[in-house]
Amino acid sequence: MLNAQTAAPGDVIPVLRESIPFVDASGALLQRVAALGRPRRYAAGERIYNAGDEADDIYVVVSGRVEHVFGPGISAQESLKRMGRGGVFGWAGLVLGQTRRFASATALEPSEILCIGTEDLVRALEVEPLEGGAVMDRFATMIQREFTMPALLAKVRRLSGTPLTEEMSTLSLTLYRMSLWLKSPRPYLMLIGFALFLGLWYLFVEVWKLPRFREMPGITTVVKEWLSPAPTYGLSVFTEEYYQHIAVSIWRVAQAFLLATLLGVPFGLFLGWSRRFKEYVFPVFELLRPIPVLAWVPLAIVMFIATESAVVFLAFLASFFATALNTMLGVESIDESYVRAANCLGASRWQVFRHVIVPGALPFVFTGLQISIGVSWFSLVAAEMVSGQYGLGYVINTSFMMVRYPTIVIGMVTLGVVGYATSAMVRIAGDYMMEWRVRELALAER
Amino acid sequence: MDMHQPGAAALTRGRILIEDVVKTYPTEGAAVMAVDHCSLEIEAGEICMIVGPSGCGKTTLLNAIAGFHAITSGRIVMDGETLCSAEKPKAEPGPDRIVVFQNGALFPWKNNLENVIFGPVMQGKLARKQAIDKGRAMMADAGLAGVERNYPGEVSSGMRRRVEIVRALMNDPKALLLDEPYRALDSLTKSVMHEALLEIYYKNKVTIFFITHDLEEAIFLGHKVAIMTTRPCRPKKVLTVDIAHPRDYSVLTTKRFRELIEETSEAVHEEALKAFQAGEREG
Repeated sequence: MLNAQTAAPGDVIPVLRESIPFVDASGALLQRVAALGRPRRYAAGERIYNAGDEADDIYVVVSGRVEHVFGPGISAQESLKRMGRGGVFGWAGLVLGQTRRFASATALEPSEILCIGTEDLVRALEVEPLEGGAVMDRFATMIQREFTMPALLAKVRRLSGTPLTEEMSTLSLTLYRMSLWLKSPRPYLMLIGFALFLGLWYLFVEVWKLPRFREMPGITTVVKEWLSPAPTYGLSVFTEEYYQHIAVSIWRVAQAFLLATLLGVPFGLFLGWSRRFKEYVFPVFELLRPIPVLAWVPLAIVMFIATESAVVFLAFLASFFATALNTMLGVESIDESYVRAANCLGASRWQVFRHVIVPGALPFVFTGLQISIGVSWFSLVAAEMVSGQYGLGYVINTSFMMVRYPTIVIGMVTLGVVGYATSAMVRIAGDYMMEWRVRELALAER
Repeated sequence: MDMHQPGAAALTRGRILIEDVVKTYPTEGAAVMAVDHCSLEIEAGEICMIVGPSGCGKTTLLNAIAGFHAITSGRIVMDGETLCSAEKPKAEPGPDRIVVFQNGALFPWKNNLENVIFGPVMQGKLARKQAIDKGRAMMADAGLAGVERNYPGEVSSGMRRRVEIVRALMNDPKALLLDEPYRALDSLTKSVMHEALLEIYYKNKVTIFFITHDLEEAIFLGHKVAIMTTRPCRPKKVLTVDIAHPRDYSVLTTKRFRELIEETSEAVHEEALKAFQAGEREG
């Protein structure tokens, strides 16, 4: 190989721009990649590498022509490809699980070629994972279309899966999804949806004054009352009482939800795991489950002398059923093969439970917890409306009795926001505990 | 001398004897016979291919060896040790006979490396750190470097199959039991997987009990091909494939390969037809 004076890094940027992987990369990225490049000259007929060699560098043709021939056993539709300026070859190191060359490459005429270390390139791409990912995707497309490799082999490495970004992979994944979401029309459609809803409320109540809505508090009244330092009916974001009600409700739901989770998940796991246990318990469970929470109110009051524990008990009850039932379904949904595979691999019964049953049921468990937190709020408010001293349900009920209509709406909207926030927290906890599933779903979306 | 012929190498583990095995399923009225007085010898380190139409009862046989199902009568012996018999109808599943499942059974909640080290760590044979080192080395050997931290759901189905085989080999098993592992793959991917399997096999000699309905796959991979009758399942014809190992894809175009296909395809077709007609009747 000749090491004569060759092109300066600045000159190779236009060449990179002509190559498929970098065709719409930003100037900054091209600069970084160009800086990694080591130009080399090859004489006509000179072998650049052989199939089976270690796949260390990626090559970009600056000038001349190169012939690329796949080794035997590589199932590409066309085993031979010739390329000129802008042609990219030697990409085997980017392919998932591949460390050796698939093909051999030979210069057909005196050629100038830019060599870029595969690992250096991957690191440079990881600096900007979004753009880097796009370059990797175009590599995959090129390998499949230009080099006619089947899609199976054209799979390139994932930038976030490499050890470099391992620690922040969850965070970067979240950021990546966030940026995708912001780029999609979804957030804007959502805003339009909200605007329409609030606009209709305004029009129905305050502009057109439709008959059914005559007694309804208008949006301007509610917002004014909500944000007033001296609210007409005594409740706004500036009064301490408002936060007291919220805090009491959240505290009750938290107790109920945690208790339901602590008892419901093991109970559900056991129901799914032990046939005998299920035969004893499940019929009773199924009979109790459909009883509406409101029907439990009198018994709850009889059972618990203090109203506080009665309210928590009611919120707990509905939560518990949802969690336990979904956990049980989760265990039953686990493919028998996983248990058999674990048995083959020498896992004991307890290890199977710990490593197969629990993680396998987790997606269903979290579905259950989402439902559970929802019904927990539902039953809480019902319970607070019947008996209680504080809380958002109590606010709504007393405001109705005392004809403070705007306060009812304030209570409702607050419930909506707080309910959504708690439900989102459960979802985030689930994503955190099931990274495998988040990644699977993210892949399925693309 | 060909090192890869069974018997030639110093392999003495993993000889499986299936003796007069019967499996019946009780149903309303008459019992249904799934396996009918089936006898088969699988030499140590041999690739034995079981060919039969879908639903012919070959998986029942595999499940009996693996210890997932009980047998009704007969005996299965591995290296002199009785796995199951009429007295003890269900074998104990264990790391000496590992199954690779039809749809794959890598745990999706563990990354590829954690899957691979599962066996030795659960059995307490290796400390986690040693298991990780061994797992990484074996994965690299099977062309799986770089995907250790990916979850199974993130890699191609062909790669998942390789990870699953490495997971099995980590336990130094006597036998691998493969239940139509490449059934769901397209033919291009399949051909890549066949060569990858042979490559792994040449490096780690184990007995392979491989179920398939694809005759070409059977003859390409196997030392021995057993063509099974359909329900009840019993060897109809056992063929020794006299094509030397190591094999690669050039075997497919040889005259001998074609001859072997011709010799056996009629028997396979007959059984497929029977299975089809039985299905028609039931339907």
